[in-house]
Amino acid sequence: MTSRECSKPKIVWLQAITCNGNTHSLLSANANRLKLFLDSFNLIYHPSLTTELLLEELLQQNEEIDFLLVEGAITSNKDFFQISNQTTSEVLKKLVLKSKYLIAVGSCASYGGVHKKFEQNSDIFGLEEALEKKEISSLFHPIINLTGCPVHPEWIFQTLFSLKEYKKIGLDEKGRPKEIYSHLAHHGCTRNEYFEWKVEAKSFGLKEGCLFYEQGCRGPMTHSNCNRVLWNDVNTKTRAGMPCIGCTEFDFPRDNMLETKKNIGIPDQVPIGVSKRAYLSLAGVAKTFKIERLHERIIK
Amino acid sequence: MKTVDIVERIEGEAKLVCQWEKNKISDVRVEFLNFRGFEYILKGKAPLDALVYTPRICGICGQAHLKATVEALEQIYKNHNEELIITNKAKLLREVGLNIEIIDSHIKWFYMFIMPDVVKFSNNDYSEYKALKGKKWLEASACASEVIKVLAIIGGQWPHTSYMIPGGVVSDPTLLDLTTMQNYIDYGIKFFENNLVGMEIENYLSFNEAEDLYKVKADLKDFITLSFENGFEKIGKSYNRHLVLGSSLSFEEGKINKKLIKNIDFENIEELSLNTFNIDKSKNSKDAYTWSKSALYANNFYETGPLSRTLVQNRKFISSVHKHYKDSMFTRVMARMDELGFLLKKTKELIKRVDISEDSFIKPKISINEFKHGLAEVAVEACRGSLYHEVEIEDGKISKYDVITPTVWNLGPGIDGKLSTSQKAIIGTNSIEKAKLILRSFDVCSVCTTH
Ligand code: SF4
Ligand code: SF4
Repeated sequence: MTSRECSKPKIVWLQAITCNGNTHSLLSANANRLKLFLDSFNLIYHPSLTTELLLEELLQQNEEIDFLLVEGAITSNKDFFQISNQTTSEVLKKLVLKSKYLIAVGSCASYGGVHKKFEQNSDIFGLEEALEKKEISSLFHPIINLTGCPVHPEWIFQTLFSLKEYKKIGLDEKGRPKEIYSHLAHHGCTRNEYFEWKVEAKSFGLKEGCLFYEQGCRGPMTHSNCNRVLWNDVNTKTRAGMPCIGCTEFDFPRDNMLETKKNIGIPDQVPIGVSKRAYLSLAGVAKTFKIERLHERIIK
Repeated sequence: MKTVDIVERIEGEAKLVCQWEKNKISDVRVEFLNFRGFEYILKGKAPLDALVYTPRICGICGQAHLKATVEALEQIYKNHNEELIITNKAKLLREVGLNIEIIDSHIKWFYMFIMPDVVKFSNNDYSEYKALKGKKWLEASACASEVIKVLAIIGGQWPHTSYMIPGGVVSDPTLLDLTTMQNYIDYGIKFFENNLVGMEIENYLSFNEAEDLYKVKADLKDFITLSFENGFEKIGKSYNRHLVLGSSLSFEEGKINKKLIKNIDFENIEELSLNTFNIDKSKNSKDAYTWSKSALYANNFYETGPLSRTLVQNRKFISSVHKHYKDSMFTRVMARMDELGFLLKKTKELIKRVDISEDSFIKPKISINEFKHGLAEVAVEACRGSLYHEVEIEDGKISKYDVITPTVWNLGPGIDGKLSTSQKAIIGTNSIEKAKLILRSFDVCSVCTTH
């Protein structure tokens, strides 16, 4: 290892109960960004990639880890899940002791996510819940939750580069970086004009219309900047025509994600911070302005 | 002598337990010790929610799961004589998405998962293949992230979109979108030409005999050279029985057990769990050692994956390579890379066939939640081989969901004294390093295997 290499912050990527989707999201990042990331940090261990160390070697060595990134939920139930003959919980605890920062990569690592729905194993948790206060007391910073199923690679880069530069970042009450998660998925959606004028998408498969009223879109209730930092550089679910399923929120996955729950024709949940009454009166007014343009195909 | 090795870099982890006799592996067990319980999770869920859940069985082949789920739900409509109209456009956009995911996976697999370890068998300098740092590794990652944009345009993102839905797809690409999608594929084709095979794709795809191996240039030539230096064409041979359960515009279904038979009957599929752990520990059989089940077709173990697809379709070049080197580790890797070229060209053609004036989605007349009972079985081809989903609905909710992944066919435990495909391939090998490579030539995904 060159001296330059040594001075780079060390990253360890641990996989616990996961589908590896966050790894593949990272590997699908913009190539220049990924290269800059690999040049600026020293990824000393990742189970899917050919890194210098194997997990057991990593556990034995005494070196400090700067950033411990964890993909997947944690369990101490060895019957269902083990890595290198130990539970994910044991491995996590050993690695946390050596680490300065602990980052949950994805909704499973943050809150348990999809895997927590496997009720036959009642011992599945996100990082915060899986660790006791004293076990994280040696960390430099509170646990950072990069939620998303999967997480957007840019969120990982921005967080790591910021921490490298400024040592800390502001978190919201759910442990997520404020600057990423104060926005709503709804901000920047190309369907916003339809949302404003309450023009619903007539069905799936159309560029026109908002997916809030029928298709279950959670954009106005979901904290993420998907529609500002596009996915794979080109698109987002809601721009393409798929409702936001709220994958960055702690209650993901909910039931009936592809339809809007309603009460006497009114969406059961309205955008964050808006009272139902305000929403209803506004909706009523907006609907009276029947704007022809918004009821036609965009490209005829 | 007995050895126990943990195998990483296979999308999760597996344990390779080998018995040795006279410096050769005489018996082997592949243990998958992780279980996430997707089939249990899906019980009681709304059928459409399965479109969100099943892609999360696997972060690499999520679109294959999505396509299997959507086709299964549509099958349930059909069984109720409520056949849905799926336009050609929707069918094409689904297949394009799935093919792109396979293309992405093949590029990553060769450069990120296999080559960094294959080159360790040589004393020559292959540092360009070094993971995370090497020029070739980085170029491959750039190509994969460019090609996957094709899927992001129609699906909104990758991984984990649920853009296929009973009745069609959610997106409505424009002509410019289609053009851009072709541009991204062209990037992949250029990569294939310049980096992988060192010649024009047409030229490569016209190969029809094993001797053409000597014409291959660039990175695939490195693999071929390394293989012949280390005898990879002699190791990893299994039953040479092949299975393709799914058919599409890109693949044909069929099986080869000595001779080729082109039709498949799901009745012949059997999933057994004699060596598999039970979620109720008290019901564990004494022979249980893995979470993977065993899958059999007509009472036999079969291999599934790109090699099987190539042989069933009788694509000339690899079929000829296969005649010489059988189902060796070498042939398996070659087939996967050959399929990359085949799919790049095929998928571009499929995009050209999309007629944007057609509907993307035609709404089903009734909601799937209204079915009191429904049952469906479907199979699609995923990057690693055939993927099978069986869904049962009771009172508008999922009552049973059974998934058999490609890796269960290839890597599940042997049964009743019969060795499984991968066990048979590994036994007889004289080094643990080679055994691991053979295992990985099946493109192991422990995540999928145990779901
Ligand atoms: S589709 Fe969703 S994110 Fe887009 S405008 Fe409508 S509610 Fe907002
Ligand atoms: S748009 Fe919604 S569901 Fe899609 S990635 Fe963003 S937060 Fe998740």
